[in-house]
Amino acid sequence: MSEMTITDTSTSGSSSVKRVPASLRVLPFLVALASPLILDNISWNPFAGWKILVGFILLIVVGKFAWSTAERDPDNPRLALKLWHRPDQRALTAMTCMGLVAIPFILGTDFDPPMDFPWASWFRIVNYIVLFALGAGAFNLLAGYTGQLSMAHAAFLMIGTMVGAHVGLIWGQSFWLCLPIAAVAGAALGALFGIPALRLRGLYLMLATIGVHFIVLLGWKEYLVHYFGFGGVRFNAPNLPSWLHWVPGINPEDGEFLINTQFRWFWLNLTITTICLLFLVNVIRSREGRAFAAVRDRDISATLLGINVARSKLVAFALSSAMVSVSGCLLSYYNRARSEDSFNLEQVLDYGIIIVVGGFMGIQGAIFGSVFFFALPMYFEWMREELPFISDIDFFSRYAGEVDLAIRGILVVVVLVWRPDGLAGLWQAAKNRLLRQFQNSQAGAAQ
Amino acid sequence: MEILASTFFDFGINVQLVVGGLALGAIYAVVALGFVLVEKSTAVLNLAVGEFLMLGSYFGVAFFMERQTNFFVGTIVITAVMALFGLVIHYGIMRPMVGQGFFAIVLATIGIATVIRAVVQMRFGPLEKGNLTALPTGTIEVAGTNIRWVDIIVLLVVAASVAGFLAFYSLTRTGLHMRAVASNIEAAAGVGIDPDRAYALTWAMAIGIAGLGGVMLGHFTPSVNPALAAIGLRAFPAAAIGGFTSVGGSIIGGLIVGVIEQLAGGHLGTKWREPVAFGILFLVLIFKPTGLFGQKDLERV
Repeated sequence: MSEMTITDTSTSGSSSVKRVPASLRVLPFLVALASPLILDNISWNPFAGWKILVGFILLIVVGKFAWSTAERDPDNPRLALKLWHRPDQRALTAMTCMGLVAIPFILGTDFDPPMDFPWASWFRIVNYIVLFALGAGAFNLLAGYTGQLSMAHAAFLMIGTMVGAHVGLIWGQSFWLCLPIAAVAGAALGALFGIPALRLRGLYLMLATIGVHFIVLLGWKEYLVHYFGFGGVRFNAPNLPSWLHWVPGINPEDGEFLINTQFRWFWLNLTITTICLLFLVNVIRSREGRAFAAVRDRDISATLLGINVARSKLVAFALSSAMVSVSGCLLSYYNRARSEDSFNLEQVLDYGIIIVVGGFMGIQGAIFGSVFFFALPMYFEWMREELPFISDIDFFSRYAGEVDLAIRGILVVVVLVWRPDGLAGLWQAAKNRLLRQFQNSQAGAAQ
Repeated sequence: MEILASTFFDFGINVQLVVGGLALGAIYAVVALGFVLVEKSTAVLNLAVGEFLMLGSYFGVAFFMERQTNFFVGTIVITAVMALFGLVIHYGIMRPMVGQGFFAIVLATIGIATVIRAVVQMRFGPLEKGNLTALPTGTIEVAGTNIRWVDIIVLLVVAASVAGFLAFYSLTRTGLHMRAVASNIEAAAGVGIDPDRAYALTWAMAIGIAGLGGVMLGHFTPSVNPALAAIGLRAFPAAAIGGFTSVGGSIIGGLIVGVIEQLAGGHLGTKWREPVAFGILFLVLIFKPTGLFGQKDLERV
C-alpha cells in the first residue's frame, strides 16, 4: 500500500504536536452552517444591510476558528489522508459552507444594491450552477479523471429523465424513489454503453459514444410520443416526506410541503450535489480512483501494475452515468417541462466547456466551470443594462444573445490558450502564492 | 415504422433516393475530407467543421443573393476567403496550443464554432434565408425518373474539386511535403520540410474545401439557416467508414453514408436518418475501427 506524502505547507518551521478534541474540530463547521440561519431570523435592527457587514465579520471569525482548531502531528501519517486536515483547507471549507448556506438568504432578502443587480434571476442561475456542478463533476470523473471521452452525457440525462417520468408520473410513485432508481438504471446502462471503451480509445471512443447519443435520443423521442404525446412531459413538484416535517423552518401547508420555489429547490439541489460530489471526491482518493488515474495516463502500463483495466473502465462508466442520470432526473423535475428537443449534442459540449474551462481534472474544476458558464452571461446582461457607456451602445442591446455567445467562445479559447489547467489551476496558484506570503510574514514576525 | 413493399422495391423511387443520396453524400464527403485532412496531419479533432460549412453557405447568401455575383467568381472568392480564415486559425489559435491535451484543443475548436455562430447571427439575423439559386433549377428526366439539375451539378462540382485536390495532394511537391508531415512530423522536419508551413497549408485547404461544400449545401437544402451546422457531425460516420487516416476513403465513406441515410429516410421516415447514420458509425467502430481503408496504429508502451 502506498502512502501519499503531502507536503504540509502550514506547519513549516514548527514540528510540534497539537491535538484537538473531535467536538472542537467540528464546532467551526457547525457555527458556519448555523450562523446564516440565526442571522436571518434576527430582524430587530431597522438598518438595512447591517447583516451583510455582520456576516462578513462572522465569515472571517469562522475561518480563523477553523484554522486554529486544525490538528498537527508530523508523526501520524494517517492524518495526511484525511480530507480537509490542514489549517488553510479547514478555514476555506468552513467559509465555503457558510457562504453556501448564506446564498439563498442573501438572494431572498430585499437587499437592494446600487445599479439594480438582478437578484431574482440570480436565484435560478444559482440553482442551475448547483445542478450542473453535479453533472459536470460526474462527467469530469469519466472524461477527465479516467480519460474516457464520452459524448453520451446527454443520453444519460435522458435516461434519468425517462426514469423520473416513468416512476414518478406513470407509476405514480414518490419523487424520492425516482432518484435511487435513476442511479441504478444509469449505472446499469452506463456499464453497458461503456463496453465500447474496452476496445476503443480517445477519438474513436468519443465518436462511438456519439452513436450511443443518437440511439438513446431516438428512444427518448419514441418514449415521449408513446406515453406523453407531442406536447412533452410536465413534472409535478416533489413532496417532502411527512416524517421530515418536524425540521424547523419547514411549515407544511395542508399537511404537505411541496418543493416548488427557487428557495426550497436550492436546499434540495445543494444537499444532493454535496453528497454526490463528496462521494466522488472520496472515490478519487481511494484505490479505485488511483486505478482510474493510471488507466488515464496509459492503460497498457496500468495492466502491468496489476490493475484490471476493463473493470476500472466499466466502474468509471457506471459511477459517472449513475450520477449523471440522478442529475438528469433532478434537472427535469426542476425544469418542470421536457419536450422532444430538450436534449441535444450541444449540451454535452456545454458540459465539456464547463469542465475544461473549470479545470480538466478534479471535482473543483466542475464547480468553477459551472459558475463560469452560468454567472458570466448574467453578469454581461447586467453590464449591458446598467453600466454607463456600455448601455449606451445600441449594438450590444440589439444583439444581446449573439454577443454573449461570441464572448463566451472567445473566453473559452483565451482560457485554453493562456491557462490549460483552467480556472481551478488559476485558483490553486493564487492560493499557494497567498499562503506563501502569509507564512513568510509570520516567519518574519516570529524572528 | 412500416415498410411498404410497394415503395421499397419501386425502381424509380429508389433511383431518385440514390441520386439525392449521392449528392448529399458528396457534401458529406467534402466535410469529411476537410475533417480527415486536419485530423490526419495536425492531430486536431475539428468539431467546428459544421460551422465552417454554415459560414460558407452564408457567404453564398451574401454573394449570390445580396450581390448577384457570377456563380464561378463567387465560389472562387468564397473558397479563397475561407482558406485565409484557415490560415488565421492556424497562426492565431492552433500554433500557440501545440503540446496541449487532445480534449483542450477539441474544446478550442468548439470555441471557434461558438464565435462563428454568433457572428453569423449578428450579420444575417436568426431567420432562415431561402436556398441559393445561382444554379439552374428544374429537373431532367433520366430513365423514367426526374432528377434535379442541382443534384447533378453539385455532384460534378464536388467531383471536380475533389479530384483537383487529390491531384495536388498526391502529385505536386507541396502535396508531398504535406503528406510527409502528416505521416511523421519529426522525420519530415529532419529532411528539411517546414512543418509549420505544411500545417498552415493544411488548415487553409481544409477550411477552403469546407467553404466550397457550404456553397454547394446552400443550393441543396431548402433554406440556409444556423442549424445547418449540425451537418458537420455527419463527417464522423463518413470518416469512420473510410478509416480516419485515409483521405480518399473519407470521400467514399461520405457517399455511402449519404446514400444509406437517404434510403433510410425515404423508406423508414425522416426521424430514422440520424440514428441510422450514427448507428453505422457505432457498428463500424466496434467491429472494424480501422474502417475500409485505414491503417492500424502500432503502439509502444
